[in-house]
Amino acid sequence: MSNEVKLLRFLAQDMTQAELGKRVGLTRQTIAAIEQGRYSPSLDVAFRIAHVFGKGIDDVFHWQPGGDDRSVD
Amino acid sequence: MSSLEKRALLALWSMCPVYCVYFVIQIGLPYLQPTMLERIGCLAVVASIHAMAYVVGLLVIKRHEAGEPLLEDERDRAIDGRATRTAYFVMLTGLIVVGMVMPFNNNGWKLVNSALLFIVLAETVRYALILIGYRSPRLAH
Repeated sequence: MSNEVKLLRFLAQDMTQAELGKRVGLTRQTIAAIEQGRYSPSLDVAFRIAHVFGKGIDDVFHWQPGGDDRSVD
Repeated sequence: MSSLEKRALLALWSMCPVYCVYFVIQIGLPYLQPTMLERIGCLAVVASIHAMAYVVGLLVIKRHEAGEPLLEDERDRAIDGRATRTAYFVMLTGLIVVGMVMPFNNNGWKLVNSALLFIVLAETVRYALILIGYRSPRLAH
C-alpha cells in the first residue's frame, strides 16, 4: 500500500509529522513509518488522516492487488 | 525512537547481562556448596541490580519524554500485542516444563532457577520482538 501523506503534508504549508500526528492521535514515529510504507494504519486512522487534508481516503492511500499482501488493520 | 522501543531496549539492557551472570554463577554454585542464605542473597543482589538499573533508566527516559504530546498509539499497541502473544507461549512452555515435568526428577533450587530462566526468556523474547517489530514492517501488523 502506498500513500501521499508526505506530499499532502508539504502542500498543507509544510505541516510537520508531529503536527499531523497530534491531529490524528498518532506519534511522530508512526507518521514517519506510514510515509515510508513501513506501517499500514487502521481504517479509522486512515480516514482521520484523509480528513485532515480535506481529501477522500482514495486520494491519500492507494492499494494495488498483489503488490503487497499486508492489509489495513 | 518511540517510547515503547526505548523501554524495551532499557528492559533488555538492564535484565540480560545481570541474569546471564546470575545463571553462570548458578551453574558453578553446586561445586561451591553454598548455603540457602547465600543462594537467596545471590538472587536478591541480582534482582536489586536489575531493578535499580531499570528504574534509573526509566527516570532518564521519562525526563527526556517530558512534554511529548503522545507516547503510545495503535502501532505501538500492535507491536506490543504481537510480541506479548509470542512471549506468552514461551511462558506457557516454561510452566509445563517447570511445573509439570521437572518436579518428577528435580526439586529445590533447580526448580526455582528453571522458573526464573523461563521468566527471563519470555521477557527477553517479548522485548526483542518489540525491537524487531519497529524495524520489520511485517511484524508491525
